[in-house]
Amino acid sequence: MKLNRRKFLTLSAASVGAVALGGRAGALKAPWTVPQKWYEEQVSTVYSYCENCFWKCGITVKVAGGKVRKIDGQKHNPKSRGRLCPRGQAGVAQLYDPDRLKRPLIRVEGSERGEGKYREASWDEALDYIAARMLKIKDEYGPEAIAWFGHGSGDSWFVEYLPAAWGSPNAAKPAVSVCTAPRETASQWTFGRGVGGHEPVDWENTEYIVLIGHHIGEDTHNTQLQEFAAALRRGAKLVVVDPRFSTAASKADRWLPIKPGTDTALLLAWINVLIEEGLYDREYVEKYTVGLAELAEHVKDKTPEWAASITDLPADTIRAVARELAAHAPKAVLPPGRHTVWYGSDTQRMRALYIVNALLGNYGVPGGFYLAKKPYLEKYPHPPFPLEPAAGGCSGSSGGSEEVPEGYKPRADKGKFFAKTTAIQELIEPMLSGKPYPIRGLICYGTNLFHSIPNVPRTKEALRKLDLYVAIDVLPMEHVMWADVILPECTYLERYDDLVAIAHKTPFIELRQPAVKPLWDSKPGWWIMRELAIKLGLEKFVPWKSIEEYLDTRLQAIGSSLEEMKKKGTLVQRGRPYLNDWERWHMNPFKTPSGKIELYSKTFAEHGFDPLPDYTPPMPAPTGYYRLLYGRSPVHSFAKTQNNWVLMELKPENEVWISNAEGKKLGLRQGEYVWLENDAGVREGPVRVRLTERIRNDCVYLVHGFGHKSRGLRLAFGRGASDNALQTRYVLDKISGGAGLRNNFVKIVPNAAKPRLKRISTLARERRL
Amino acid sequence: MARYAMVIDLESCVGCSACAAACVLENEVPPGHNRLWIRQRELGVFPELTVEYRPEQCLHCENPPCVPACPTGASYKNEDGLVLVKYERCIACGACVAACPYDARFMNPAGYVDKCTFCEHRIADGLDPACVETCPTGCRVFGDLDDPTSAVREALAKAGRIDVLRPEMGTEPKLFYLNTPSNRGLDEAEEVQQ
Amino acid sequence: MTTFYGIPGGGHFWHWTTQIHFLLVALAGGFTLYTALLGMKNGSEGRKLAPWALLLIAADLFMLWAESPARFRFTQFWLFLGIHPKAAIWWGAWGLALSALLLLVIILQKQAGKYWYALLAVCSTIVVLYPGYALAANAARPLWDHLLLALFPATALLLALALLIAWRGEEAVRWLELTSWVSLLLALLLPAALASGGVDQARALALLLRRGLLFGLGTLLVLLAALTARRTPALAAACAFAGAWLIRGWLVAEGQHSLFTHGF
Repeated sequence: MKLNRRKFLTLSAASVGAVALGGRAGALKAPWTVPQKWYEEQVSTVYSYCENCFWKCGITVKVAGGKVRKIDGQKHNPKSRGRLCPRGQAGVAQLYDPDRLKRPLIRVEGSERGEGKYREASWDEALDYIAARMLKIKDEYGPEAIAWFGHGSGDSWFVEYLPAAWGSPNAAKPAVSVCTAPRETASQWTFGRGVGGHEPVDWENTEYIVLIGHHIGEDTHNTQLQEFAAALRRGAKLVVVDPRFSTAASKADRWLPIKPGTDTALLLAWINVLIEEGLYDREYVEKYTVGLAELAEHVKDKTPEWAASITDLPADTIRAVARELAAHAPKAVLPPGRHTVWYGSDTQRMRALYIVNALLGNYGVPGGFYLAKKPYLEKYPHPPFPLEPAAGGCSGSSGGSEEVPEGYKPRADKGKFFAKTTAIQELIEPMLSGKPYPIRGLICYGTNLFHSIPNVPRTKEALRKLDLYVAIDVLPMEHVMWADVILPECTYLERYDDLVAIAHKTPFIELRQPAVKPLWDSKPGWWIMRELAIKLGLEKFVPWKSIEEYLDTRLQAIGSSLEEMKKKGTLVQRGRPYLNDWERWHMNPFKTPSGKIELYSKTFAEHGFDPLPDYTPPMPAPTGYYRLLYGRSPVHSFAKTQNNWVLMELKPENEVWISNAEGKKLGLRQGEYVWLENDAGVREGPVRVRLTERIRNDCVYLVHGFGHKSRGLRLAFGRGASDNALQTRYVLDKISGGAGLRNNFVKIVPNAAKPRLKRISTLARERRL
Repeated sequence: MARYAMVIDLESCVGCSACAAACVLENEVPPGHNRLWIRQRELGVFPELTVEYRPEQCLHCENPPCVPACPTGASYKNEDGLVLVKYERCIACGACVAACPYDARFMNPAGYVDKCTFCEHRIADGLDPACVETCPTGCRVFGDLDDPTSAVREALAKAGRIDVLRPEMGTEPKLFYLNTPSNRGLDEAEEVQQ
Repeated sequence: MTTFYGIPGGGHFWHWTTQIHFLLVALAGGFTLYTALLGMKNGSEGRKLAPWALLLIAADLFMLWAESPARFRFTQFWLFLGIHPKAAIWWGAWGLALSALLLLVIILQKQAGKYWYALLAVCSTIVVLYPGYALAANAARPLWDHLLLALFPATALLLALALLIAWRGEEAVRWLELTSWVSLLLALLLPAALASGGVDQARALALLLRRGLLFGLGTLLVLLAALTARRTPALAAACAFAGAWLIRGWLVAEGQHSLFTHGF
């Protein structure tokens, strides 16, 4: 205990009288007793699923004295298997974060968006306000003039359910076009199946792993990390292709420090070796694929030597890896990664990656990719929705109907790219220009608009022009404090949500149920959705009277019940993981036009895209600038955990990684603070410098999610730099609609002042609930 | 009557810090201190690089210097080899904090010296310590050294290389690091980023 | 390059309040020893000093109580009823407590016998010796070399003698001079002792040479005290006090610095 002078003097003066009996919490306890620990009280457990990233691990929540104390995995849950990552463990701190939104807020009349002037309101008033304006917009412009952005478990209410009932096709999730779109689209048109939220990589049986980017260990999707570690422990070989020596690279047998943006060339060279040297799985390719001849012709000149000059890797190494892959096939796999929107040419890169996998004969085979099966689960029987927006999502389908029902408009980004799912960043344009038609309102659920969508100034300009902007969130993020109406959702520990269905080797269903009652006047997303639907006159689409009824009905339809699920937490079903499982039932898993794996995509050709992947060089860096790369920290999720004191004590700020050699040239010192300025003149920072050997000289690296500008986030404010703020340029992938974010370049501006911020620990102590 | 020990396989550890977060919640560790933290060491020169991720906490030494330093007997080693603190006997003088060569102890503002207890309260229920249970890579193993069938003995038998921190201090730690990726062992780094 | 997730150990555990304690305990111990020795020679003289010695001990105990995060357990004297000879603070607790009791006996008795003062001498010697032991016993802190077992008692006596001279004039000037020379010698021996040790000691020496300006200053002041003791006792006392305080203060502060977590 640090005794400051004032305390000491007070003590001396009152030394006799300072017996301070029962100072804390009203309990009359002798001051020399040691406070009781939570586990010494009566502890009850509640099953649920986590919300601290989008993996959705099954959790066991321990409650004592009416408060959540500890969160652990569920032993029988195929995602967590009894283990949890640091963000899952630290969920307790989010629940009791005193900076949380507490009551509905309405922006003061006449104030500017972003000024932050709000007044408290009742739920009724807030929802009436929203409904009135939404209906007005609908009258004037049509239901499509309301856009719905969302991410997290509640996006099922605000990006799928309600937009469908309302009739707007402009529902989007950043998880698609700012994350997984290329890998989903490429997979759809190669294998006729998406990848899905739980990547169907057969880690359990693999012997040789090649990671393209994909920094497992810093990206900590629980099960993936468990299985990855187990595979390595079993002796599986690992090759990591990454401009940075990631955590995964530190476990690898080979690290290929590739020049950023050239991965497709590498993959094409591997295809070349597999075909030219006859190392591909002939039987598999013959039986399950089409297009080998065209492919062989296409890669004839894409030799390792050709790739070497492009990728900055030795040709021998390139050749050796291809041979090693073949030697271990089919138990050799190139996992797809997750965030694949890199350069705008990403669908083709993913196509190349999938083709390598197909040539190894590993798709649908142990040691490669298994065939994930969706669990059997019925929807709640509601009247048919006017339309189904194609928002997709990392745990949603990657399809979507192209048909536009009578009386409704197509999605506003249609025609900008080939894929059927919406692209969130393409829905900003209609808010500004009114083309192809105006979007006048935005309902934004749990989506950090200023930390996910590129070109933040454009987003801000768009928000200013809207007639209505509603934010539904847990914390006062910067974008939340721009809304006309702010609706406080309670955290995942205080609410029910829709059932989660995970397509998997052993498909399963997870239940979320509250462990404690919502704090303050916060409400669950389902309740907000339902109340808003009723006020919008859409009552018939929400015939269920309570969430319990909704869930129970769905579960009864598959022979279970809410009572049972509450006790179990997770319901596991049987899967159909490999090709012979499908063949036994005379079923074909490849839902492509040809019914086979398409090495050559006729559909792409028909739409004017390369039917076979080609290498497109990325935009080069201007002189004096470094390419800005970004990634994850195992301790944080996106931009959502930087106000969590447990996680911030583990990592309070991000740093810009730059090579020692470049740092020396610039005269930088370890740990000094600098500004980052991108080639559009946007400045961000100050951010701490990390001089390291672990990165190439042509790029710098930032962990995503820092650089918060909202003062309401007392821990997060002012720490580190936001990569998204520097991503003012993106390159649209015309096939998937993905926004390639790695075409932004920064230079270092030294001598920034170190931000004068209180220690995390001090703030954590000061703002205790 | 056991001899509890822990093993961490540094070949598997990725420094995800799930253990550190779990410990804070399980043991109500106050802000400003950690019972458990992760050290990340970068060694080598591009492109020949090694990174070691290494959790550090109390090592529950067989010969702990923190125990004799305590004037009230609050700091003690129990019959199962756990080095613990009887909080109600602790006068927070800090002598044990000074004595620990591993900086494992800290002054809990609640008025006693605190540190990793190998989650003694969980062992009593037949459970693993919180850090071991949650570790996603499975690099942590806990058990009784005196039991030849224990997981910890098995892990030690299979290990390529076994290291302990600062063996020259004569403390005989019971937290063993396996398979450190650094061929120089667990040497402290020369340069620490503050 | 080393970085951390989380807050590693190795922060300072003894703060400015402990520094005050190190000062008070030196004054209390030294003064009480002087009282005891004086009392053995001349009972009534000793008895005159006894209340002041008791006051110093009380001040030190109060300081320890006030700054302890476990204040309300601190006064539970039965916690000290075990036997912990390797714990310096155990010795210190008994030394301070018994010295205080003996002083009380001496004050209450009109004419305390020599044996009371002899006992007091033993107890107060423990008080003089234990702080050095509290530091030197930590093999984990190489700056707190075994030399401190002698340096701290010497500087403790130096502080007490300086106080005495300030209060009672030239009575203890010869002792001040002698103790100054001894303290000086011991302080100068510290770098040598570290140089002849192992890797950890070498790092402690590097720290001393790099950041030990105050230690050097303290040593100089003690030298000044030794040289001017006979001619200008008041100045010498002031220099001795400041010098001894700096030497001890710097060692207590810097010695906590963690070799393990932060390196030197």
